[in-house]
Amino acid sequence: MTDTVLEVENLCKSFGGVQAIRDLSFTVARGEVLGLIGPNGSGKSTTVNALAGVFPATSGQIRLGGTPVQSLTEHGRVGLGLTRTFQTASIFPEFTVREQITLGGTVTLKSHPLSSVFGMGRDASEAEALRARVQDILDLTGLAPVAEQTVGTISSAQQRFLMIATALAARPKIILLDEPAAGLISHERKTLADTIKAIRDRGTSVLVIEHHMALIMEVCDRIVVLNFGSKIAEGTPAEIRTNRAVIDAYLGEAV
Amino acid sequence: MKLRVSHILYAAALVGFILLPQLITVKYYLHLSVLALVWVIAAQGQNLIQGYTGYVSIVQAGFMGIGAYSTTLMGLHFGLPVWLTILLAPFVTALFALFAGYPSLRVKGHYFAIVTLAFNLVIFIVLMHATDLTQGEAGISGIPKPGREGGWLDFANREVYYYFVLIIAVAMTALAALIVRSRIGQTLIAIRQNETLVGAIGIAAWKYKLFAFVTSAMYAGLAGALYAHYQSFINPEIFGLAQSLDAILAVIIGGSGTILGPVIGAFVVVFLPEYLRFADSFRLILYGLLLVLATIFMPRGIVGVVGQLWARMAGKATR
Repeated sequence: MTDTVLEVENLCKSFGGVQAIRDLSFTVARGEVLGLIGPNGSGKSTTVNALAGVFPATSGQIRLGGTPVQSLTEHGRVGLGLTRTFQTASIFPEFTVREQITLGGTVTLKSHPLSSVFGMGRDASEAEALRARVQDILDLTGLAPVAEQTVGTISSAQQRFLMIATALAARPKIILLDEPAAGLISHERKTLADTIKAIRDRGTSVLVIEHHMALIMEVCDRIVVLNFGSKIAEGTPAEIRTNRAVIDAYLGEAV
Repeated sequence: MKLRVSHILYAAALVGFILLPQLITVKYYLHLSVLALVWVIAAQGQNLIQGYTGYVSIVQAGFMGIGAYSTTLMGLHFGLPVWLTILLAPFVTALFALFAGYPSLRVKGHYFAIVTLAFNLVIFIVLMHATDLTQGEAGISGIPKPGREGGWLDFANREVYYYFVLIIAVAMTALAALIVRSRIGQTLIAIRQNETLVGAIGIAAWKYKLFAFVTSAMYAGLAGALYAHYQSFINPEIFGLAQSLDAILAVIIGGSGTILGPVIGAFVVVFLPEYLRFADSFRLILYGLLLVLATIFMPRGIVGVVGQLWARMAGKATR
């Protein structure tokens, strides 16, 4: 049993002549929060999309809990415990908050979808467990008060938390957060930081892409810095803050 | 409370359908009612893919044709009893839908619509020109009714056939309701709203889309088979593009993504042309106009409009 949840080895991704990621390697341990930062166009989102399976990597290895996943589809990777959120809110506007999170959890159900049509062969304990998990996630992400509201009618901040909640429902080993703080105001960012820490404390690893440095420095155990698709630094928040290359490329002097 | 109101509505509608033949004095309207019930089945299928999944398919009449011809030809060439060929027809249709759906569901929106439209054309052309099998444009007549001759039910009697189709239409409507309320239905509705997210939460959307497409085709196949044995005559003209558009119209007019919508819509598309007869060749233009107006002014169809009025009245009552 390995304690490494995600291993990325020599990952490359090219779009035509543009090399978006070059020879990127890093690992994420169980219950670790890893930050992925870098200037715009440094390849952060490409990395998330390649990890999630939106498009295939050009070369390199991605292993989830030791299993290579390069050839798996997006949904296949979710089944192995990797879920994600999106930079812009991606929601089911007509569902209620509870319905959307529940749908996010159906991937964990063992019973065949057809059995749910006639209510036969349905595992009641399984459905009950999912209901309980959804309630737990609603509490964790602070969405319980709006649980029965239509997703299209809740605030955009709540929609961002809903994306995290939906991704959590699949009981992931690791969750990729793509700029979760975008559009959040200060006290919402505080809630977000607490939520990320709570997710980590439950043993789920987090890979977070973010431009908001205070948040990154607060929640991350380690940080990987990208520039022009290559890793230029890796270390604890304290190390990254004083790293010369990172300051020159991204952070600037006054941090 | 809302649930109870809808249950009463369903019950009232059912009673209405059961009593209908007794209330109709003009035989011709009973005939149209049988056709409308056949269209209810086809429209329920269309609603699964178009209304719930959000993929507008233009091949429902083509699939009805496959159902109609397969039940007829199986009876003609293999001497199978009518009840069995009616039962098998949806499965034959499903095979064709699997073949058509697998490649065409890779494209979305208008592209999907165009690909299915092409399938309808192909079906039509094959039915037209495979004369050895289908007798082409002349069509096949003398298609037998279900049941034995001199049996206790005379299916040649319109009223008997009405109740026969009514039972099946109710059962298929109930089945559609069960599908929609299940995990599968929830996933289909999710695909309609945000297919990217469906993939991101670990669901293989294509399987569900294919399920919806094949199931909708099976509904059409069954409807086509019931049609063939009712009319005792089929030819390719009945299963052309215009009829596929009728299926789409039924869903939109009645109420896309609702269970009662296709029921209402099917009766509208069968009865309306009778009232538009005066317009003769302008019928299609009127149809098109109706479709445009319906999508603009009642995007949720008749069911949506009635629902809104109901909510407004209920709101006033409580105020």
